[in-house]
Amino acid sequence: MSGSAAGPARAVPSSEGSGAPGGRLARAGRHRVALSLAALALFPLVAPYEALAVNILVLGLYALGFNLLFGYAGLLSFGHAAFLGAGAYGCGIAIVQYGLHPLAAIGLGTGLAVAVAAAMGYLAIRTRGIYFAMTTLALSMCVYYAFYRAERLTGGENGLRGINVPALGLPGVSLPLLDPTVKYYVVLVFVGAAIWLFSRILASPFGAVLEAIRENEGRAEACGYDVRRVKLVAFVISGAFCGLAGALQAIHLSIVPIETMHYATSGEAVMMALLGGTRTFFGPFVGAATFLLLQDGLATLTSHWQLLVGAIFIAFVLFLPLGLWGEVLARLRRLDAAPGGAP
Amino acid sequence: MSAVPILATEGVGKRFGAFRALDGVSVAFPEGGITAIIGPNGAGKSTFFNLVSGAFPPSEGRILYRGRDITGSPPHRFAALGIAKSFQITNVFPHLTAHENVRVAAQARRVRFDLLRDRAAYPELARKAEALLAEVGLPDRAGRLARELAHGEQRALEIAMALAADPDLLLLDEPTAGMSPEETRAMMGLVARLAARRTLILVEHKMKLVMDLCRRLIVLHQGRLLAEGTPDAIRADAEVRRVYLGRSA
Amino acid sequence: MTLASLPLTLVALQVVTGIALGAIYVLVGIGLSLIFGLMNIVNFAHGAFFMAGAYVGVFLYGYTGNFWVSLVVAPVAIGLLGLAVERVLIRPLYGRGPDDPLLLTFGLAYVVVESVRILFGLTGLPFSAPPPLRGAVDIGIGYFPLYRLFLIGFVGLVVLGLWLLIERTRFGLIIRAGARDPQIVQVLGIDIGRVWLAVFGLGCALAGLAGILAAPLQGVTPEMGVPVLAEAFVVTVVGGMGSLAGAVLAGLLVGIVVAMTSLIAPDLTKMAIFAVMALVLLVRPRGLLGRAGAFG
Repeated sequence: MSGSAAGPARAVPSSEGSGAPGGRLARAGRHRVALSLAALALFPLVAPYEALAVNILVLGLYALGFNLLFGYAGLLSFGHAAFLGAGAYGCGIAIVQYGLHPLAAIGLGTGLAVAVAAAMGYLAIRTRGIYFAMTTLALSMCVYYAFYRAERLTGGENGLRGINVPALGLPGVSLPLLDPTVKYYVVLVFVGAAIWLFSRILASPFGAVLEAIRENEGRAEACGYDVRRVKLVAFVISGAFCGLAGALQAIHLSIVPIETMHYATSGEAVMMALLGGTRTFFGPFVGAATFLLLQDGLATLTSHWQLLVGAIFIAFVLFLPLGLWGEVLARLRRLDAAPGGAP
Repeated sequence: MSAVPILATEGVGKRFGAFRALDGVSVAFPEGGITAIIGPNGAGKSTFFNLVSGAFPPSEGRILYRGRDITGSPPHRFAALGIAKSFQITNVFPHLTAHENVRVAAQARRVRFDLLRDRAAYPELARKAEALLAEVGLPDRAGRLARELAHGEQRALEIAMALAADPDLLLLDEPTAGMSPEETRAMMGLVARLAARRTLILVEHKMKLVMDLCRRLIVLHQGRLLAEGTPDAIRADAEVRRVYLGRSA
Repeated sequence: MTLASLPLTLVALQVVTGIALGAIYVLVGIGLSLIFGLMNIVNFAHGAFFMAGAYVGVFLYGYTGNFWVSLVVAPVAIGLLGLAVERVLIRPLYGRGPDDPLLLTFGLAYVVVESVRILFGLTGLPFSAPPPLRGAVDIGIGYFPLYRLFLIGFVGLVVLGLWLLIERTRFGLIIRAGARDPQIVQVLGIDIGRVWLAVFGLGCALAGLAGILAAPLQGVTPEMGVPVLAEAFVVTVVGGMGSLAGAVLAGLLVGIVVAMTSLIAPDLTKMAIFAVMALVLLVRPRGLLGRAGAFG
């Protein structure tokens, strides 16, 4: 029952790192940032309504940040709501209480998430395996109660209200965020930059170490890597992405409900990443779209949509562990490797 | 033989609960050549291997690397000092290609916290990985996932990963375990070639394999040091014959 | 306000209150720890099972008016639910990584909570201690609620029973051996699958029992298991991996810390639970009574 000896659960090679075999798919993978951005830029054309599209964008980024740890480093955290929440509260408080410029507020929110991630990570990386999931969950609940109690700053139980950002003022222009289309593309600029950075990190030597740790933590350590330090850095980076998502969400919703920080929200990141595919670059966005469209559709049918969401999630764990996007990629890869395709 | 041994243990022992796996073993490994650690099942060979390779710390005693006390250092420190190991149970990165396995291993001593440049910004690591794969006889397996390789190939891959750290001291735990006769022959040929340029310590269950290859032998029995010396001296040792060679000699 | 400025009897009473609260934590923690220690599975539906146990018990009490029936049937029902879950949902995941059962039970918690909402409504049911266990008795340092005394004694008996089961029976021997090395058990010709089944059922039954025992303290709502899951994790992490004695010690410790904090700084009560865990992670990351090897 050594938590460290556990092999990777989903037996599929990632198509992303330079460690993957060649092929047409791998060549397409080299343009993953451009392809992802193109898909997200066209997404409003098919989305039911724009507010939902922005939600998908923001929570897709949240799931992407989570997936840096789970999909790439093999660390299952149930505490990422704390980073989403810290980003949201940090940004919201900066705007509501101090009247800062939205850009500064986004930076501040992300910074707060980084600080929370550093503190939580410092404690959580002392545990391994599935203990890590329990520890991160419990630590995030500590953050939750702290924000719950800091009522004067956070609004406590009622959440932080009144984050009104009607327009994003930049030198020379003012972008009207009340126009949902403008809002979508403004958010996409942030999310796109994050996607680009995320891809750079994955392709870097550091990204290679993350994959090595996921594949075989003990071996990575024997190679000479200080596994704990690598994990902590990954935890903080992951927290930064989620913090940015939170800051954008605060501006988008103009309110930060206290539930943002609850571990149920951490669970949503897990669900979205898994629905889309944890071993894929774009999977978290596919998962976020699936989750939110599902929620949106089911909620019109029944107030007990959570029952169905839970059951669908169980079915994915049992029968479709690669997730939707992961399954698509796996099929394409088989086609790619079929006789007549590659030599 | 240089004055300071590359590796030495002083009275190291290891207890697991009430079980004494290893007890007061003091040995010195001179620089260069192959030293083999042999002994029957349960002699404490693997425990000894794990202690000197830094997998876990001893319950008592000290471990010296070039005269420096390294007892209790974490595994990644051992690697940084120039001690590399290949495990008894195949221990690779299964869903990475053979090439990436070796490249990541080589990267450990070269770059650590580079988050923004591409892996391709270090072409020397890729070249090194290719060269090492060729050295262990896997030049045509570079693009395959490690888990798709045959057992013998995975062991060879693992040795390439160990070599990627440019170790002065290479520790191998039963490198031929579970191998076919041909694979075994190829592996022992590789081991002999490797020893030309670095110190090798080899844990081996099959005594015959190492007799012709190694300069010195260390015999463990029931967690204690039973004998050490040249292969000829060990062959002649009455105690060793009694406990270890009993059936075959 | 500091502890020293309070009357000693008040502090002492609050310690006993903490032990009563801790008794619930102990049960929940042991259930989680049993499953975790043997099967390397974190049951994320543990809080939902706790809640479901409370509902079963309270629902039955409405018909029978007999708390003892509830006390027996609730854990049995949740235990049976656990058996079914292990058989149907978790068994297919053996051989996959340890994350998969965790994820599955997380989804299961959604299903259980929502099912209870469908069956019993969103608002929850009020419940207070059954008449013979109401009121307060003088325990020498002051009057103390009878139900909480009963809780301490009852949980004490359950823990004693579990201890006997694990230390003194063949089943317990298998559990202990299996927790160390599942292969040893298989070599001995024991069907480890059946042991896992039984242990999963037992762990869930303990969650159900904790639920009905906690019902008179707080009433029942579909969400009552949500914080309990996080608190059970704290107990497991603080107590140490796979250690039943650790779960008992940690459960009582957390209970007492909660009681004391609510006396001194009621606002910080919830945070205190997690502060205990953070502290333990800092000084002794393997937990108070945990074995080495589980942590890096």
